[in-house]
Amino acid sequence: MKVMLLRWAVVVLLAYFFVPWLFGANAYLMSLIVASLVIGGVALAWALLGNLGGMISFGHSAFFGVGAYVSALLAINADFPIWLAMVCGGIGALLVSVLMLPTLRLKGPYFAIAILAYAQIFRIIATEWRSLTNGVAGLSSIPSLPAVLWWESGSKISSYLIVVTLVFAFILVYRWVANSHYGLALRAMHESEDATRVVGVNSTLLKAAMLLLSACMTGMIGAFNAHYINFLEPDYAFGGVWIVIPIVAAIFGGYRTIWGPLVGAVVVYLVDQLLFKNIFPSGHQIILGIILVVMILFSPGGLLPLLTVRTRKRTC
Amino acid sequence: MLWKKGITAFLVAALGVGSAAAAEILVGSDIPLTGSLARVGTSTHEGIQTAVEVFNQTNGKHTIKLITVDNESSPAKAIAGVEKMASQGVVAFTGGYGTNVVSPAAEAADKLGLPYVTTGVFSDSITEKGLKTYFRVINSDGYRKAILGLIESLDAKSVSIVYSAREATSGLAKDLQQSLQGTGYRVTMHEFDPAATDFKPIINKIKLNDRSELLVISGYENDYLNIIRAARVLKPPVKAIIGAWGIATAPMAKNHGEILNHTFGTSMVSYPPEFKTDEGKVFAQNFDKIFHKEPDYLAMFGYVQSMILFEAIARVLDQGALEPAKIVAELAKTDRETLIGRVKFNEKNDNQYFTQYMGQHQNGKIVIVWPQEKATAPMIYPGVPW
Repeated sequence: MKVMLLRWAVVVLLAYFFVPWLFGANAYLMSLIVASLVIGGVALAWALLGNLGGMISFGHSAFFGVGAYVSALLAINADFPIWLAMVCGGIGALLVSVLMLPTLRLKGPYFAIAILAYAQIFRIIATEWRSLTNGVAGLSSIPSLPAVLWWESGSKISSYLIVVTLVFAFILVYRWVANSHYGLALRAMHESEDATRVVGVNSTLLKAAMLLLSACMTGMIGAFNAHYINFLEPDYAFGGVWIVIPIVAAIFGGYRTIWGPLVGAVVVYLVDQLLFKNIFPSGHQIILGIILVVMILFSPGGLLPLLTVRTRKRTC
Repeated sequence: MLWKKGITAFLVAALGVGSAAAAEILVGSDIPLTGSLARVGTSTHEGIQTAVEVFNQTNGKHTIKLITVDNESSPAKAIAGVEKMASQGVVAFTGGYGTNVVSPAAEAADKLGLPYVTTGVFSDSITEKGLKTYFRVINSDGYRKAILGLIESLDAKSVSIVYSAREATSGLAKDLQQSLQGTGYRVTMHEFDPAATDFKPIINKIKLNDRSELLVISGYENDYLNIIRAARVLKPPVKAIIGAWGIATAPMAKNHGEILNHTFGTSMVSYPPEFKTDEGKVFAQNFDKIFHKEPDYLAMFGYVQSMILFEAIARVLDQGALEPAKIVAELAKTDRETLIGRVKFNEKNDNQYFTQYMGQHQNGKIVIVWPQEKATAPMIYPGVPW
């Protein structure tokens, strides 16, 4: 317990003091860190559904887009405070995920494809419902994120502090669910869903809860991104990038661990943008692809389990 | 504190931040070279690179050094690109392509107080935001004026407009409808989904219901080809087919010249390109020297947006210290003939004189047919590809 508290203290110290102090003056680096945390947030939500719910989703861009649009529209049209609009963005994505509950009857690739189809449906709705969403023209001048402490609204540091707080909140929720008796039941379901049903576990309810929770988390990150970028259009908000990159990041970092997806997202994004892009300005993504293949072949559990094993070996 | 300096020094090296030679003025180009906007971004960037070459050869006193960041057609990376180049000391940006990418990038530049000049945005939404440092050299109104000018020069009174539901294409189609109806034309509208590939039902309606004399298409490359293929099969009784952007281009003439024969489209340059002005000849020579090929209209746009920016920077330098606010003020004073016509910005920093020219595919070539004073060959009318 003490070790865990110590680890958290170090992480919080690094995230809330060290990063703003060291990099705060460099807007470029801060914007890369914020973008990596946005991907990390989606990767965490995706991994929660996969790791605890046992469902592989290709449709998280639907939750991201809905959260973004709900928050942006409430802020623009109803003058909602940004904090409240972002929470509503999460709730909007959660409500949308209710429509996806029938897909829980499906398993494996069928679930993945069905949820992908939902993502396309919501993209088309956002495109065609012009009176509300302004169609393909999208929404511009979306109100910026609020000020945090003495950092002004929309500044890099205030945006960073908001997204890092969101991501840490997600980790705490994820951890709480994983360590609760719900988490135990979910893990048992992975071994044998029929057996857990026999002992009275409502597996459908638990899977539904994971889907709703994952959708809400993704929606809030989508809402954050809308207020950070200040622009939305259907192809961007519901784009495949919001599922492909987070999946790559989660698998790279270790999607069976809680911190893995976040670490994967930050490492993948920053290394790609700061290192590979400088070496290969175009086509640098190919290096990431190769590293991902190597990682899957030699450490299928991802980066974090690999580092943990190495650290333990050194300690021994 | 040494270790903080060490980490910062490492990151500075990783970011590629370095001090430029004193005589060089750093200008940034935040542009999509990969991703969905790669083709248009690359063409524009070639024009930008040519402008740097020509300016450095001809100015004599000042040297521009271009720093380019590929924003991968991504809004977040476009913001990061602007901020990266600002940290490297650029004094202005010669901008990107696509509303979704330019909008956040231009806002980021505006927050930094750095000028951002572009030819890659048709939507008025960014201009309407009132950003002080954002300048646009081309606009959709220039396309409307050109298509309208051509239509008015033809002997016709009825028009069918087929248009993609995308923002730029539908906006242009509706503007044309309003203008044409205002001058007594009979106009019928046919919207199609951007993913549509089968246009026979629409062409059938035009053939049987509309019976219009002119068919106007507001779409993109594949839309034109699919619509004209359907029209070649059904042969509606139109006298001419007029496209908007991306139809009267060198790649379309090279690859689809036969299918597109006699169709009209906006174009700033004939194909093979003919430049009559001195500036045009210098541009074409330098473009050929760098890229060993002929320039297209996007390269011309990239060249013009960059050249007027570099000239504004040079004027500020000639007067004294180089400050972004002074570059903004000098850009606002721009008023000169360029490769794409006169450039003079209005109070919203939008080029008030931008008008496209109209070209026509004629047996594998593209000739300019409108306006009369820019025409390189007589138009063929009536004329359809079948």
